Amino acid sequence: MIGKLSIDLHKLAKFTNLAIPILAILFFVAGLKVSFYFHFLTVTFLFLTIINFFYLKVQTTHSVLRNFGVLGQGRYMLESIGPELRQYLFANDTEEKPFNRTERAEVYRKAKNIDSASSFGSQFEFDSSEIKIRHSMFPISKDKLIPYRLTFGEERGVANSYTITKPFMISAMSYGALGERAVRSFARGAKMAGIPMNTGEGGYPKYHLDEGCDLIFQMGTAKFGVRNEDGTLNDDKLQELAQKDSIKMVEIKFSQGAKPGKGGLLPKEKITDEIAELRGVPKDRDVISPSSHAECKDIESTVAFIDHVQKATELPVGIKLCVGRPQQFEELVLEMKRQNVFPDWITVDGAEGGTGAAPKAFIDRVGMPLFPALKSVNDILAKNEVRNRLKLLASGKLVAPGRQMVAFCLGADAIYSARGFMLSLGCIQALQCGNNTCPVGITTHDPVLQHGINIDAKAPRIANYVHNLEHDLEELLASAGCRSVKELTFDHLFVPSESTLYPFIQSN
Amino acid sequence: MKNKAYIFSWIAQLIAVVIMGQTLFFKFTGHPETIAIFEEKLNMPGGQYVIGIAELIACILLLIPTSVAYGALLGAGLMTGAIIGHITHIGWEGNHLTLGIMAIITLVSCISVLIIRRSELPFIKSALKEQ
Ligand SMILES: Cc1cc2nc3c(=O)[nH]c(=O)nc-3n(C[C@H](O)[C@H](O)[C@H](O)COP(=O)(O)O)c2cc1C
Ligand code: SF4
Repeated sequence: MIGKLSIDLHKLAKFTNLAIPILAILFFVAGLKVSFYFHFLTVTFLFLTIINFFYLKVQTTHSVLRNFGVLGQGRYMLESIGPELRQYLFANDTEEKPFNRTERAEVYRKAKNIDSASSFGSQFEFDSSEIKIRHSMFPISKDKLIPYRLTFGEERGVANSYTITKPFMISAMSYGALGERAVRSFARGAKMAGIPMNTGEGGYPKYHLDEGCDLIFQMGTAKFGVRNEDGTLNDDKLQELAQKDSIKMVEIKFSQGAKPGKGGLLPKEKITDEIAELRGVPKDRDVISPSSHAECKDIESTVAFIDHVQKATELPVGIKLCVGRPQQFEELVLEMKRQNVFPDWITVDGAEGGTGAAPKAFIDRVGMPLFPALKSVNDILAKNEVRNRLKLLASGKLVAPGRQMVAFCLGADAIYSARGFMLSLGCIQALQCGNNTCPVGITTHDPVLQHGINIDAKAPRIANYVHNLEHDLEELLASAGCRSVKELTFDHLFVPSESTLYPFIQSN
Repeated sequence: MKNKAYIFSWIAQLIAVVIMGQTLFFKFTGHPETIAIFEEKLNMPGGQYVIGIAELIACILLLIPTSVAYGALLGAGLMTGAIIGHITHIGWEGNHLTLGIMAIITLVSCISVLIIRRSELPFIKSALKEQ
């Protein structure tokens, strides 16, 4: 339903862009033949034609205007009177989902490098469920901070270990879910920002490799790009990829927060010839990945599979999962201990995680939210004395410094985000990622809509975003009196009784 | 740099105001030649008052610092109309040539003002915001 509406909007915009110059001509003729007064309209539409030309063809900073022209201007007009409309008529600044306006505005500002100081007071709730960070009475100065460094694979002594110097990484989003220009913008931006990008489970990472940023190759349950006919791993193909310079690490995806217990889903609207080829799948139906890896039938074979991939690639190898039962996770950890095989990192994806497409019930109801899941995982690893055998990454709406700090306090070593970077690229949360009709050209393969993205103009926004996140993180660390994220602990959090983290306070 | 641009803008504004302003006298006093143009050539009897009032508003807006851009927009629109009039109805002979050239000069001035002050226009402002 929503999809239909948006296609119509796009058609409407095309129609308008054509109608404006035609009307200008018609009014000109009317002014010539009927009455000179018609030229008031001629002039108006002539001016509109010129402005429209500028929006569509000349400027590169606004995707909406590039795609929709003056009709897209409606969005900016509404935005400028939005606060009033919203305050009196619609939702308020902290109500929209999944990201409310306050959160989105913060990302947009960071991406556009605009100062994000705000005045008078917070829009958040203070007496109920919001977790807060405890600062120190003795903040340290920023030059006392220890520069961030995290080396994946050091625990196993991997020859090709990989070090990041900023605690942010672009989380998995496949080419397929994303269009070509979005992939290129992310990749070019990641390179500018000096952070790695996860390829997502989209098969052979053609455009990612083109751009030459550091890559984490993700192997989904269908193993697109490295599969045999029967869905098992093709070692040769994996090794060939692992030998590429840009590919620094490999992530085995077991599950993701938006659809835990279910395989990936790519709607047939979004399958082009090229994507069918890169993934090795047919074109005419939805591609549904199996819900688990063919090799992983139980806990024992799962751990053995991790070992196999580590040996085959000679790269740091991590796993990504959304936690369902902490007990089950503990069994996995015990088995890792027994076999003495540990992934180089574990990505904990919260149930609030995003996706290109997933069944609604899974998006809404399945999986543990990030904070309690992350805390459980960290506690289980610590309890079994293996926390120092691997790194812990977190994802799930960690788009702004506040929640990122909470994740660090809960044990995360670095932050993964998908939607934070999409917002930086100009995502307006139109929620049409699965329909191939994304109005700003991110999650679509329609070349007309993708035209909205000018890669050179957008890539710096990724870098700005990372830079500003880093800046805020440093300030927060200093205020907490910590020299690095490693020094942050659960005690740095103020947890109100309504919070999902409250039970952990009591058990501690 | 910015200051220079604003000085240039004010010069252009004054040119536009002077040119439009002096024709108002002829329009509002019903000078026979003006009436001839509006009634015979353009077939808009009384049009000199409509256009005259619009030009007066444009002149005033062009002189008030907070509304210069709006005045320039209105002026540019009116002058585009005038030039269309010259092309299609009035022609460029004799005195009409002078009037036509005046209109073109005013249009150029108004457009210069618009370009210099583009960030003062509503809506376009938000669209132009670099980065
Ligand atoms: C468009 C889109 C595509 C995604 N594709 C994948 C994918 O291929 N593999 C995967 O493991 N996760 C995928 N995800 C999930 C993200 O990697 C991430 O785990 C989740 O969105 C949480 O991070 P966020 O809240 O910062 O977006 C995708 C998310 C989005 C929004
Ligand atoms: S603008 Fe909408 S369709 Fe495009 S990426 Fe954002 S949420 Fe998805």
